[in-house]
Amino acid sequence: MKLALAIASLIVFAVHGVVFYDQFFHKWERYQTAYFDQARSQARSELERAEMEARRPRIEQILVTNFGAARVDRCTTCHIASDDPRFSGLSHPLKTHPYSTALGDINQAGRWVRRHKFNDFGCTICHDGQGRGLTEYYAHGEDHYWPEPLIGYTVQHTWKKEYQKFLKGKEYMQANCAQCHTEENFAGTPLIAKGRRLFFEKNCYGCHRIEGISDGTLGPELTEAGKKFKIDYLWESIVDPRAGMATSFMPKFRLTEDEVKALVIFLKSRKGINLTETSLALFRARLNQDSAPPAAMSQPSLPAPSLNLVARGKELVEQRACAACHKIGDKDGGIAPDLSFEGAIKDEPWLLEHFKNPRALIPDSIMPAFRFSQADFEAMTAYLISLKAPTPPASPAEIFKLFCARCHGEKGDGQGPVALYVDPAPRDLTKAAFMNSKPRERFVKSIQEGVPGTSMAAWQNVLSESQIRALVDYIFTAMVKERGRELKARNLPEQNPVPSSPQSIARGEQTYLARCTGCHGRKADGKGPNSLDIVPRPRNLRNSPFIQSISDRRMIESILYGIQGTAMPPWIDYGMSQKDAGDLVNYIRSLTQASGRRQLRAGR
Amino acid sequence: MKESKEVPRRSLLTWVSSVALFGSAVISALANFVFLKPRATYGAPSRFSIGRPEEFPPGSRIAIEQRRICVAREGNQVAVISTTCTHLGCIVAVSDTGFSCPCHGSRYDQDGNVTGGPAPKPLPWYQVKLAPNGELEVDTSVEIKPGTYYTV
Repeated sequence: MKLALAIASLIVFAVHGVVFYDQFFHKWERYQTAYFDQARSQARSELERAEMEARRPRIEQILVTNFGAARVDRCTTCHIASDDPRFSGLSHPLKTHPYSTALGDINQAGRWVRRHKFNDFGCTICHDGQGRGLTEYYAHGEDHYWPEPLIGYTVQHTWKKEYQKFLKGKEYMQANCAQCHTEENFAGTPLIAKGRRLFFEKNCYGCHRIEGISDGTLGPELTEAGKKFKIDYLWESIVDPRAGMATSFMPKFRLTEDEVKALVIFLKSRKGINLTETSLALFRARLNQDSAPPAAMSQPSLPAPSLNLVARGKELVEQRACAACHKIGDKDGGIAPDLSFEGAIKDEPWLLEHFKNPRALIPDSIMPAFRFSQADFEAMTAYLISLKAPTPPASPAEIFKLFCARCHGEKGDGQGPVALYVDPAPRDLTKAAFMNSKPRERFVKSIQEGVPGTSMAAWQNVLSESQIRALVDYIFTAMVKERGRELKARNLPEQNPVPSSPQSIARGEQTYLARCTGCHGRKADGKGPNSLDIVPRPRNLRNSPFIQSISDRRMIESILYGIQGTAMPPWIDYGMSQKDAGDLVNYIRSLTQASGRRQLRAGR
Repeated sequence: MKESKEVPRRSLLTWVSSVALFGSAVISALANFVFLKPRATYGAPSRFSIGRPEEFPPGSRIAIEQRRICVAREGNQVAVISTTCTHLGCIVAVSDTGFSCPCHGSRYDQDGNVTGGPAPKPLPWYQVKLAPNGELEVDTSVEIKPGTYYTV
């Protein structure tokens, strides 16, 4: 028993000793003692030697109040010789911070004068890291909960091995230079300028918004990307967008390591605020934002024009990474439709208008409206027009595979590789209930003339009518498989029996609000509360090119008799009359008709 | 024989345990005393550099308001005088005759001695010396005898 007590008490004693040693004997004390010893041996006067003799280790700290929130940097506790030029030959931590003309340091007759004095600037303003930390692990930000590890030096252990080797290098510090040196082409931050250029060249600005620089809406806003994300996440998100979020549809751009690095540094420098701005200045800038568009929104830098319009268009299409989403020849971004034979299925005015504002023609398109010049659009249009379709293969199966499968899928089930990104979604051609409820003439017409307001193109210039009929037959035999009964044309008027009038539109609106909003939504954009559970999705009734292209008869038939194979019910079963349907058609058409300018200050 | 051996072993164990436990207690108590004095505070650091001697031309008296000091240079001699009023801690202004406090009218001469007003003590002088990087380094935690100049 006594033996056990003796052992236990010895262990307690030992633990106390270890804890005491660990808590009160620090590495930094040893570093400082070493510094004092060496400084003493190098002292040139007796006074200096006596002073060094008198100094005792203590926590050194720099209080920085001039740049943003106050910082406490205790880095000089270990790096105590950082401003003592006699220690330039030693190793860390007892090493002089290098002098460099690139940092603005001046050599005056053999003696260096720093531009950024540590007294005024501290350390973490350039280097990041945890200024208050007193051990390497915490001070350098190796702890992966610390958002800003020493930039370009410290790699946190949670960062992916394959990217770690790219994330080192003092050039990353340019991101912090740019917190004060915000000029667009500041000589000290060439990689920020390069990253900014790439942001436009690679069309990042089309999808991403950065306040004052770009206003894309498709992707996440990057105004504060540098504050929110560490460099490993930025690197990964550019190189492999789906690694962070499986549903991301950001394309994989073909970038070199240097380009990714420049983009990462540029994004890391975006922190939403810069240190030369007070919060009041920022507030004023935001107030005045609407009145004056930022200067940086102008045209991105353009390559030198070449003489041939088509060749120049080709050059532009290649440089602007169109193939990051689209397929052109053997390059395939896997997100957007195939442009390899665009000239055969689209005409020049359509392409030009679509370039300027894709959503004017396909209202639910995700294609960004890029701000290129008119001349560039014309050149790119000329190039796309020059891309003609190959001679169609002989068998309908091969035609389907070549022209249709990218959207409708190899099996015709509407699950092609880009189907996810095409809105309205490609039709599921295997759904017998729908396919058998429509006359074949309608399918022939859709293929011939395309479906306005959707990604379905007109194929009449590529395929002859007999080829199209063979294709429709092939779809019905190979994909639909079920034989439908003979269709009898319903007895419906060709024209809307109810003339359009404000009263009719008002009645239509009442019916719409009562019966249609559950699926088509209160905004008639096809995104009602039930729409999430419905495939195919409810039609966007504000898709004006589509609505304008279909006849009154088809609309009334769809409303009264439903659309088989979809969630649209036959409303005639719920007591809707032809007159009600006519009111609805008037209402739906009124949604997409150009009305007079909305009067915001109209008296009520 | 057996008995006599047993007793010293037991007492030795008792002795070891009590020394170890007492030692632990002493260490813990000591550790608490160490914590009484904070190792770092959030105040401005007491040792800082103020720039190269050339920035203070001979004959000048330059106040650095942020640091609450005045750098006086005469010839190649430099001194650093506090500009915190010894009355209620306002920052005193540098005037032709010395220093004057805007709050309650305390007046000091060029060496910081009180010449008028409610100030109870003269302004302290701080240690200043040339750091290895060629800049003047002030340590406000070390007060020196007024009138002591540092030769640069």
